[in-house]
Amino acid sequence: MITYDTPTIMTSPFLFIDHPSYLNHDTGGGLHPEIPGRVNAIRQRLALDPLSSLVTIQPPNAINRIDLLSVHDESYLFRLEEACLCGQTSIDHSDNQISYDSFDVALWSASGGVSAIDQLERCQARGAFCGGRPPGHHAERSTALGFCFFNNVAIAARYWQKAYQRKKIFIVDWDAHHGNGIQSAFEDDPSVFYASVHEHPTFSFPGTGYADERGRDSGLGTILNIPLPPGANDAMLLEAICHKIYPAFAAFQPEALLVAAGFDGHRDDDMSGLLYSTEVYEKLGEIMRQWGQHCQGRVISILEGGYHLEALAASVEAYLMGITREQ
Amino acid sequence: MYVATHMKRSPLTVRLETTIAEAKALLGANNFRHLPVVDDHGRLLGMVTDRDLRSASPSSVVAGKTSQDELLRINHSPICEIMSWDVVYLTPTATLDDALILLDRQKVGALPVIDEAHTVIGIFSIRDLIGAYTKLFGLGERGSALVAVKADGKPRPLTRIVQVLEGLDIHFSRVVRKGSALPAACDETITIRVNTMNLRAVHQALAEAGFTLDPMLPLLSDTPHA
Repeated sequence: MITYDTPTIMTSPFLFIDHPSYLNHDTGGGLHPEIPGRVNAIRQRLALDPLSSLVTIQPPNAINRIDLLSVHDESYLFRLEEACLCGQTSIDHSDNQISYDSFDVALWSASGGVSAIDQLERCQARGAFCGGRPPGHHAERSTALGFCFFNNVAIAARYWQKAYQRKKIFIVDWDAHHGNGIQSAFEDDPSVFYASVHEHPTFSFPGTGYADERGRDSGLGTILNIPLPPGANDAMLLEAICHKIYPAFAAFQPEALLVAAGFDGHRDDDMSGLLYSTEVYEKLGEIMRQWGQHCQGRVISILEGGYHLEALAASVEAYLMGITREQ
Repeated sequence: MYVATHMKRSPLTVRLETTIAEAKALLGANNFRHLPVVDDHGRLLGMVTDRDLRSASPSSVVAGKTSQDELLRINHSPICEIMSWDVVYLTPTATLDDALILLDRQKVGALPVIDEAHTVIGIFSIRDLIGAYTKLFGLGERGSALVAVKADGKPRPLTRIVQVLEGLDIHFSRVVRKGSALPAACDETITIRVNTMNLRAVHQALAEAGFTLDPMLPLLSDTPHA
């Protein structure tokens, strides 16, 4: 049984955090897969049943610079902003295409998680999915990587701790790629547990996330990596989530759960060799909702990858149906 | 690619007259397993290992005063009584492949590295070899992915693959090509570690150049099925 902070929260909406600027991060066209069309594909689903009656679309409030600095160096913020404003086309690697508006859009993307936390903690939402782009889980303290500029999930975790004294945060990441940036942000911090299931780093970008990476110093044991081989299916994903990550989640007893929700493990998505179905994301939604019962319903999901437009939209829809389903 | 880059420099060495007890203490205190034995000028004479030292000790099964007397006698013996004299060594210009072959063939855990004057200047262990290849292959470095391309039987597959990658301004850190058939056999697979997340662009460009991709599926017999 879910226990909520106030009895009124059950009538609160499930939020889908969206912002008009998410279309303005121009990655140069061509064959770049991280495109505004991702947001449009999801928005089209949101406008229709069943999602139109399940979620309430809301824009985020602008993030404070101080909250970015909990994860990123100020010099990196200046460097990224200057790169965008002076017309550079990429930063740190040609994968990380930028345009004039990219810095602002990345700010709005990072704002999603922070605003969702505010809404949840003020009992104005019972859950939230942040549908922003660019994604974040590859971004390091001072480096853009893998289409990511600000580490949206890591920023949200730090904000939850700082603004609402939720000391123990659990992050689960089932994007096809290992979230190296989240791991490096928390690998020596026992207050944040990062668990990731992803395509094996021998094959997959970014080449990190081996099973023996378990954290370091006082954070040793609060990183859990489960690499799956190319061709891994729904059963292998659910086995990892339910039988390997869940015991760690239950033992950690977190006060809040953040989901790095990537959909590029879908069988139609050519950015990984994983073969997940659309239906498995509905199951993941149900599981995340169930896990949320252990932390008073404090669950926020933040969009990461997912590059096959139709598969992305269908998978997000399935996930939202699962996570919003009443028992 | 050279041993000199990855070896441990100025290793601890011992003399012929060093006692077994002293050698044991040195290995124990420094967590080593191998000690080069040198003359007054630092020239290599042999090696003594923790296995040599253990083998020299009396069996723990034999208890009592006889065993203790024997242990005392052994501990005071010089290591020249138990060391290996016929030692294979590396030079600074030896490559990692040389080291791999020698370590494997000699079935030893480490080899001394000596200069032209036979002076010991380093020691190179299996652990050093693993570290060197880990670095060389870029294992654990952020920012790359593996692509496996099936050779199409046409000439110069590597050249054409490199042209595709350079056309996309994509760098790569290693190429592994199984076999050496020329021209490439149709069933040959070439794997490349590419420094990009944009595999869609890589796949598409390789397909346009006529290559097919190997999904690198494992040989699973007990894969759970959905």
